Order: sequence, then structure tokens, then C-alpha cells
Amino acid sequence: MRNHLLGVALAIAMVVCFSWAASAQTKQPSVAPNDPSANPAHDLSGVWFDDHPRLITVQQRYWAYTFTPEAPPMTDWAQAKFNAAKSSFGPHAVPLVETTDPLYHTCAPIGFPIAFLYPLPMQIVQAPGEVIMLFEWDSLRHQIFTDGRPHDTALGPLWMGDSIGHWEGDTLVADTVNFNDKTWLDRMGHPHSDALHVVERIRRIDHDHLVDDITIEDPKAYTKPWTAHLPFVLKPKWTLAEQFCEDEQSFQTIDKDAAAPSK
Amino acid sequence: MRKHPLGMALALAFAMVLSFSATASAQTKQPSKASKLPNADSAHDLSGVWMLDRPRPLTVVERFWMYELNEEEPPMTAWGEAQYKAAKSSFGANAYPLAETNDPIYHTCTPPGYPRVILHPFPMQVVQSPGEVIMLFEYDSVRHQIFTDGRKHDTALGPLWMGDAIGHWEGDTLVADTVNFNDKTWLDRVGHPHSEGLHLVERIRRTNHFHLTDDITVDDPKAYTKPWTAHLDFLLRPKWTLAELFCEDQDTFDEIENNETKPAK
Repeated sequence: MRNHLLGVALAIAMVVCFSWAASAQTKQPSVAPNDPSANPAHDLSGVWFDDHPRLITVQQRYWAYTFTPEAPPMTDWAQAKFNAAKSSFGPHAVPLVETTDPLYHTCAPIGFPIAFLYPLPMQIVQAPGEVIMLFEWDSLRHQIFTDGRPHDTALGPLWMGDSIGHWEGDTLVADTVNFNDKTWLDRMGHPHSDALHVVERIRRIDHDHLVDDITIEDPKAYTKPWTAHLPFVLKPKWTLAEQFCEDEQSFQTIDKDAAAPSK
Repeated sequence: MRKHPLGMALALAFAMVLSFSATASAQTKQPSKASKLPNADSAHDLSGVWMLDRPRPLTVVERFWMYELNEEEPPMTAWGEAQYKAAKSSFGANAYPLAETNDPIYHTCTPPGYPRVILHPFPMQVVQSPGEVIMLFEYDSVRHQIFTDGRKHDTALGPLWMGDAIGHWEGDTLVADTVNFNDKTWLDRVGHPHSEGLHLVERIRRTNHFHLTDDITVDDPKAYTKPWTAHLDFLLRPKWTLAELFCEDQDTFDEIENNETKPAK
């Protein structure tokens, strides 16, 4: 994120990009239907950043640590897990050295969908048959296969899940299962089991805005399915930077920044 | 890689028939227009899932995934030689058991770095978007972005595990120039070293629909007495997709390494 400013070169690229987008929208698709460039409505590509309103207090930073302002409907099992989790974020934050956040001290993959809740950008790239989310954080990759394959339980349990998708009009409907249970669902320590089932409806509502309506279903952890709405804004001048968890110093800097009151 | 070999023989035979016809038709077709789309000029389309393509030797130390960039020993400086001697790799001619290795990726799961990750026996996918060519490695989810939008190197970025890579096209060849490395990684899997002064130049070309070559020049005056080159061949794997393989999945990792050190059948 440090180095997204690109100056004149990208300003020019942007102009070219806008004119390309404009011409693309007036053009009928003439190539194979699984080419992402064939249908402009199916083009989700770009560098995206969380677009929640900027909140003022430390607990409500513009990157929220959880999916919804309301507590999700936890089962007894989940409530016990949540009570035991010592997050370094949120209203009951513990200091970094005391946290039980599985990410800290081991740099284990954070998993999905929690990757959305880190204050770093996400890039979508598309190839025939797949939509790929690249997270700046820890170089994580989430591939959504749109080539018609079914889920494959032989793949699991996975950190980022086994994700397949299809298009309903201009909405990518992504269905993800086969998770392991080693990760938190969010940065406050809400849990999930390996039965987690995530359904996302991802839509580019205009050139600069993307929304992800996400449904969390996990009968072991939640008494009923619940939903969250994630807005993203396009950052046309940004590119993803390298940010590995192992760079402990920069990692701690980020967390210190995150815990400092906004100016 | 676990699931990739399934039913591959027939699939590949079929795919190769398709590929030859695709190659034939691609070569008779001229690119019709210039555009920002990466696939607008087919000569600049490197996209696909690629696997390092080396002859399959019979002995353990010469497996089809080699552990080094080159067959010949690179021209090390005294510093480079000392680092190399101190490295206890679990691969190659003088392999140590896994428990004794000081390979930086073992036990800590630090990023393998670039270009070492190329030598891990897992596929690599190239995806392209305007202004960048992205290499996605199955191994440990690492990615290597080569920016082709005209930007310069930026020392404020480094030192980096995967380096700061910029590129430009010379005809059908992507020339990638990478600097700003940290010195925490090995250059390859047998423990050849590199310093923060590592400078890579790669000439990457899709020689036909199914083949990609990467002629790589390694320049690092602290570690090597002169620049040296290696030639890497990649084969398209049209039916493969990248799987999840994090270093943290130790069981899987050990299993793979055990298989890898078994003699080839």
C-alpha cells in the first residue's frame, strides 16, 4: 500500500483505461463466452479497497474488524469459542502479546472470508473459467472457478475454501465450502467450524464500485444463516504491494497505526 | 499437485491434438487491433498454467524438478562460496536429512522468495491485466508481479522477498528486470546464496502455444564473480488449475518432500 502513487504515467493509463471502458460498453461481444473481456458486465477486474464509511472512534475504524455491527446469532459452542478468543481488536481488545489470534506469532494463513477485513487492498484478475481475488495481505489468493466444476471434498479442508461460481445476470454468485477450522471468521474472534458455507453475490454496480453481499451459514457456530454487505471502491492508481506476515516489523507498525486514533 | 496427475495421459494426448491445431490457426491470424487488453496481441499473451519442463532423469539427484537453475556450478565469490558451504540443503548431491537442514523455509515457513520458487515442483499460473504480468505460484500462494506500465524501480519498496520487477516488451519477448531483494532467501533449493545486490534480468517468451521459455541472467557482484545465465523451459498444462498449498500444512508438505526424495520409478 505504501507505494501506490504512480504519477503521470498512470494518469495517462487511466485516460486510456476510461476510453477503453467506454468503447467496451458499446461493443458487442465477439469472442468466446468464457473470455472475461467478452462481457463487460462480467468484468470485476481492478484493485479494490474497503469502502465502509470512515468512522471516528478506535473501535469503529473505517476497516471494521467484523462483518456486521450486530453480533451474529451464535450457538452455545460458538459463544464459548468467542468468549475464549482474545482478539487485539474490537471493544474487548487485549494487548498484542496476550492475543490468541491464530495469525499472530505463527503467521498462519488468515483464511477466508476474514481476508476482506484487513486494511489492505484486494485485486481481482480474471482468466477464462476463473475469477481470482488477490489480497495484498500475505499474498493470499482466492480462486473462484466459473468453469462449471462441482465442489470437491477431496480438496479440503482448506484455509481459503473451495470456491465455485456462476453468473446470474451481472452478479457473480460464489459458493465456498471445504474450509478448515483453524481460522477465525473475523478479526474479533467470531468462530467458524469446518462446516462453514459462504455464499457471495458479487456485483460491480458501476465502474468504480463493487458490492459483495455475503451469507454466512455454519450450523455448528450460528443458529441461522446471516448476511453482511461489503462495499468496495476501485483504486485505479493503486497496485498491490508485497506484504508478508513474516515482515514482523512492518506488521507491528500496521497494527500500531490501526490502534492509533484517527486524525 | 496432489490431484494433477489424475488421468493425465489420455487428457494430454487429446489436449496436444487440440493444441497443434490451435497453434496452427494462431499463426495464420494477424492481431487485428491494438488495445490495452492483454490478449489483444496474441504475441503478448503469456497466460496459462505452466509447469517447469525438464527432462526426467533417472537418479534421485537429477529429478525432473531440478533444485538449481543451472547444471553448471555458478561462479561464486569467496563470500558466495562461504555462504554456500554453510547452507545445509535437504536436496542435491550433498543432501542433509530434513531434520538437519538450515533451509530458511523449513520449520519457519518464510516465503521462498524469487527466483527460488520457480524450482519448487508445483505449477505457476500467468495472468495478465493492463500494465502488469502476474505470476501466481501454487507453492505457498506467493505471487510475482511484473509491472509493464512504464514505472521505474522504487528502492523505497525494498528489501523484498519477491523483488521489485518491471518489464517491457521487445517484440514477443517480455524483458523483466528485478531488484530490491532482501537477503533472507536462497537463490535455489541447494543453498546457492544471493545478496541484496541481486539483479535478475529475464527474457520470457512463449515460443508456441504450449511452450514458454525464460532466459534468466543472475547478476550479484557480492555472491558471483560475473553474471551467469540459465535457461528454463515451461510446458502449458491446459487442464490444470492451481491448488491451495500453504507451507503451514506440514503433513502435506512432509508427504510431498518424502515422495520427492524417493527414487524415481
